[in-house]
Amino acid sequence: MSQRFGFPALDRSLAVPLVLFAVLLVAAAVLSPRLFTATGMGGAIIVAAPLILTTLALTPIVMAGRGSVDLSVGPLMGFVNVTLIGWLSASGYTSPLAVICWVVAVGALYQLLQALIIIYVRVAPIIVTLSSFLVLSGLNLMVMSRPGGVAPDWMMTWGAGTTILSPVLIIVLAALALWAFMRRTTFYSHLRMTGADERMAYTSGVKVNTVRICAHLLGGVFVGLAALSYTALISSGDPTQGSSYTLQAVTALVLGGANLAGGRGGALGSTLGALNMFLISYLLSAFSFGSVTGFVTQMAFGLILVASLLVNVFMTARRTAF
Amino acid sequence: MTSLATEQTMSQITGRSVKLQRSIVIGFALLAALLVLGTILVPGFISPRNARSILLLAAFLGLASLGQTLCAMVGALDLSIPYVIGGANILFPSLLVTGMPAWLAVIVVVLLGAAIGLANGFLSFRLQGQALIMSLGVGFAFVGAVQLYTSIGSDYGGTVFAPVPDWLRNFAAFNGKTFGLPLPPVVLVWLLVTLVTIWALYNTWFGRSIYAVGGSRTAAARLGISETKVWTSIHGISGAMSALTGVLLLGFSGGGFVGVGDPYLFTTVAAVVIGGTSLLGGAGGYGATVLGVLVLTVLTSLLVGLGLSFAAQQAIVGLLIVPMVAVYARTAHIRNQI
Repeated sequence: MSQRFGFPALDRSLAVPLVLFAVLLVAAAVLSPRLFTATGMGGAIIVAAPLILTTLALTPIVMAGRGSVDLSVGPLMGFVNVTLIGWLSASGYTSPLAVICWVVAVGALYQLLQALIIIYVRVAPIIVTLSSFLVLSGLNLMVMSRPGGVAPDWMMTWGAGTTILSPVLIIVLAALALWAFMRRTTFYSHLRMTGADERMAYTSGVKVNTVRICAHLLGGVFVGLAALSYTALISSGDPTQGSSYTLQAVTALVLGGANLAGGRGGALGSTLGALNMFLISYLLSAFSFGSVTGFVTQMAFGLILVASLLVNVFMTARRTAF
Repeated sequence: MTSLATEQTMSQITGRSVKLQRSIVIGFALLAALLVLGTILVPGFISPRNARSILLLAAFLGLASLGQTLCAMVGALDLSIPYVIGGANILFPSLLVTGMPAWLAVIVVVLLGAAIGLANGFLSFRLQGQALIMSLGVGFAFVGAVQLYTSIGSDYGGTVFAPVPDWLRNFAAFNGKTFGLPLPPVVLVWLLVTLVTIWALYNTWFGRSIYAVGGSRTAAARLGISETKVWTSIHGISGAMSALTGVLLLGFSGGGFVGVGDPYLFTTVAAVVIGGTSLLGGAGGYGATVLGVLVLTVLTSLLVGLGLSFAAQQAIVGLLIVPMVAVYARTAHIRNQI
């Protein structure tokens, strides 16, 4: 089947995001070629990185099944951002090592807490993450009541986005490398089994609880990296904007062909989904819609989301028919 | 073999209703506890004035949560609710500006909401697990389109200025009166909607079908219940109720604003969950959600009375959801699910 599409090695669910990506790239090349200059590309990477990384954070958690879409990734990214600026930097710890340890540790520990609640309190994951969303959105505003503060000095140049090979690109590549490494471990196949059918995985001897904890830890590391790139993007702390990344990341995840029911998904699809989201808003801003640009973007997101879901349904229906 | 299976199903069903009753008892206990706490901690908490404001805010949340409850009962979540509320909230005044009579505008907006909901249900039916994302996409598309429509020929995006009819203002504003009684009519509307919904869920074919589909799709199909029809119509109801809430909120706030629905994205889900309707489908009901709405609104009022900031209120509500749900909606351990 997949050979008909010309890329036998790739998952079929990548067909839709790949085609969309190609179409959007061509459209960008025609309408707004400045994207393909060094500064255009550099800026694009800086802007797209937080979304790519939050989408990556959602990926293992969603793949673990039980309908566990982590609604808290956006506010968690915001939480890491405001605590980094408001607590860590404000207390004088600004060395790169301290900052990176902080973001990764806070992200991973919070996700560990969520995983433990899901496993031991045995409440549906979406309820746990919904409550996290509310708690963290509130906490962020309590840590920092309005946008402010400054990022550590060494980070100030990151957000300029004048070159392609910026530190932010390295963060994204590091995250993808981490995923590539993870794919080669037994954990990955256990993750897919747990997501596809948790009972079957359990009876086959997979330690489903360990798998869930690892999936959340991995997601937490990605959220931490997302917060790092987000801090570089805005060069300060912002208690509210981070929350808006939740819906964007879920949208990007679905655009990338992952299944919210679990078991299917991957870093490549998620990255493509996030890039597609970025390209859509980039393209729409190239038109001069004036004051209504935001509305057109929102409508376009909605329509593309609906269309891509329908195409996915159509393709799955055909797959089962064969 | 058959009798064993039947027995097992029976025990599951009674187990469920015991769980639901437990959640309702807990809901009432929580409500009572919050009222007692409020009386002790906040001066003037038990006053006609505060009761009126709690009921008014609860009415909006309750009307918006009706669709969410029905959706949760078949295992869906409708994330388009905030966007339909916001869209209706600016579409209605902009229709009034064009000279359309207010009663007709209400009908147009509510029907449009129902149509959006039906489209959402029809499109998302095949998606099941991803249905919530479809509802999100439909919501984005709707609110984007409405904003485009209302901002044609206007310099302001997102807000619409139009005189709100007096009857609507009286209907939903804090100092509204019903036949001389100091209670906004919207509260009575909510009461009526609640009674009709609870009656319909237990006594009509359609109401029982919702439980059947939520409980077991295969069994429902064997009974000749069309899953597509149930799924699509409850999404339609959700869209219509959201649009109605959007129109009523205009009477409350006095000016159209597209962001007015935003808090309802998660509060409707929270109300459903606190009430005791499982998000997995098959159990619960609107009565439970009404209880959840009241708990949530009284809690918020208490926190406001204690002088907590919005951020702190949000954090506390969030912190309470998991323990509240854990009391009655814990899933079985995986080794007991096999």
